[in-house]
Amino acid sequence: MNSSRIAIAAALAAALATPAAQAQGMTEKCYGIAKAGRNDCQTDHSSCAGTSKKDGQTDAWVAVPKGSCEKIVGGKLTSS
Amino acid sequence: MLALRELQAAFADHLAGRDRVDLLALVSGDSIPAAARIAVHRHHLGQSLSAALAATFPTVRALVGEDFFGRMARDFLAGFLPTQPVLAEYGADLASFIATYGPAAGLPYLADIARLDWALNVAAYAGPVRRLTAADLSAVSSERLPAHHLALPPGTCLIDSPFPLPDIWRASQPDAGEGVVDLAAGRCRLVVLPGSAGAFFVSLSNPEADFVAALAAGSSLEEAAGVAFAADATFDLSKTFARLIRLGTFAALR
Amino acid sequence: MERATGIGLRAPHLAQLERERPAVGFLEIHAENYLAPSTALQAVERLRLDYDFSVHAVGLSLGSVDGVDEGHLERVAGLVKRLEPRWISDHLAWSISGGRYFNELLPLPYTEEALDVVARNVQRVQEALGRPISIENPACYLAFRHSTLSEPAFLGELVRRTGCGLLLDANNVFVSAHNLRLDPQAWRVALPAAAVTQYHLAGHAVNDADGEPILIDDHGSAVREAVWALYADFVRSLGEHPTLIEWDTDIPSLEVLLEQAATADRLTAGARSHACVA
Repeated sequence: MNSSRIAIAAALAAALATPAAQAQGMTEKCYGIAKAGRNDCQTDHSSCAGTSKKDGQTDAWVAVPKGSCEKIVGGKLTSS
Repeated sequence: MLALRELQAAFADHLAGRDRVDLLALVSGDSIPAAARIAVHRHHLGQSLSAALAATFPTVRALVGEDFFGRMARDFLAGFLPTQPVLAEYGADLASFIATYGPAAGLPYLADIARLDWALNVAAYAGPVRRLTAADLSAVSSERLPAHHLALPPGTCLIDSPFPLPDIWRASQPDAGEGVVDLAAGRCRLVVLPGSAGAFFVSLSNPEADFVAALAAGSSLEEAAGVAFAADATFDLSKTFARLIRLGTFAALR
Repeated sequence: MERATGIGLRAPHLAQLERERPAVGFLEIHAENYLAPSTALQAVERLRLDYDFSVHAVGLSLGSVDGVDEGHLERVAGLVKRLEPRWISDHLAWSISGGRYFNELLPLPYTEEALDVVARNVQRVQEALGRPISIENPACYLAFRHSTLSEPAFLGELVRRTGCGLLLDANNVFVSAHNLRLDPQAWRVALPAAAVTQYHLAGHAVNDADGEPILIDDHGSAVREAVWALYADFVRSLGEHPTLIEWDTDIPSLEVLLEQAATADRLTAGARSHACVA
């Protein structure tokens, strides 16, 4: 076994020996999600107030995102 | 009258956005004209698929707002309709679509945020897999451990982006404050993992990310550590390995 | 009172249902939400120990001239094997053409040709699942001029050829009757009563189509009075069957949903005593 493998083996073994309590005490920033059922959208017709005119095929459209992108700076906000 | 095969093909064409006026003659109309009746279905299709995409890409949706997202979703589905009915598996192509979508060109990070949303979605539907604990790994003799390979859980994904995706993600959550995000914060390396309540991601340092990427590519622990040390001589293997085990990054030992 | 009516299980209620285990007739899930493994599927498997389940598919596309998507059918069969639900159902509609999935229950012309297609597909599904399924009448927004059969006659012939059951959605009957100018009572009379296995109930929206009201089956509100009345009529004339409350849009609290189910239970009991007196 060469010296680098010995060092790696020792480092890995040290990680395994980290006491569980100490490991749990370490704070970790995790960002999580839980997912809802997508196929319930099958019947999600709530916003179909107009039936014939709002299917978005022909309307003139101004391309301006309006959302949390307004909080992101240092880049361009619109494509204009 | 059309045979059923032609009728369904024509209806499908119409729903996909190619107006098929020949359908009008096939549908009864009265005070509600045939066109308005057919339009109900095209409208519902757009609404329901747009809603499904919004649920799969909540961060993209929050960044651009409802109107922009709805229009982008419709432009997307014109070329990328689902090919099977499980909508949790629909949207794999949205990130690459956004990358070339003209109206989103002013938001250069949007495609990478879509990659993150998609990776979280994939991880959430990858299924529960038992993770290796320190005790499991201690069963291998410490001399032999470096030669072993570790498999990551199905649904795990590494993301490397020139943009600060975690900051952008946080600023787009419903409970986010008013603080702004500076794109100059720059590159991020993330690992997205299936979790006990869905999916989650954490930031990795560059050598940590190199280490995980090497393991994911099939390198042994020793080889992966070599890659990380080559990238950064100060790489703390012990701390990283403990952290990754704690996060549930490893599913099997080979 | 006995809790016989079920509710559609939706993600926002999953945790509360697991915690409180309220009295309810049964739970119904959309099959397509549980074909990929998830923590939600694990929760459903735990709830399965305490509740009867109905697996309601929305994507088998039984009216597709292309035939049933075998890959999808295999996944649905896997879920059925896993949950062993008491009931399985899908719709008289199509949603797949040329390998594209249109997330919408699309209308069929009621012709002999379509009947052959649907019967073949239903048989294929029943063969793969090893048991009969129930077919739900759709909410209709249009009718094809070249239809030669009425919807109940089409469903009756489908039952005769395949042995499938009928899932009678009272809201869909109401919506279709309004939109297609049909008489819901006449529609019901033409139905093969013995094949009915379940009822569905839901709310609908009244929208504007070029200045005319059109009813939309949006499952976005409480069951409307006129639909309760039609349901009571169904129970009196077609008998009592497991009934489900569906609510998918603007999903209310679990309590509101359970109250709708209790209303259905009371109506059923009322119809029962009415039938005894008569």
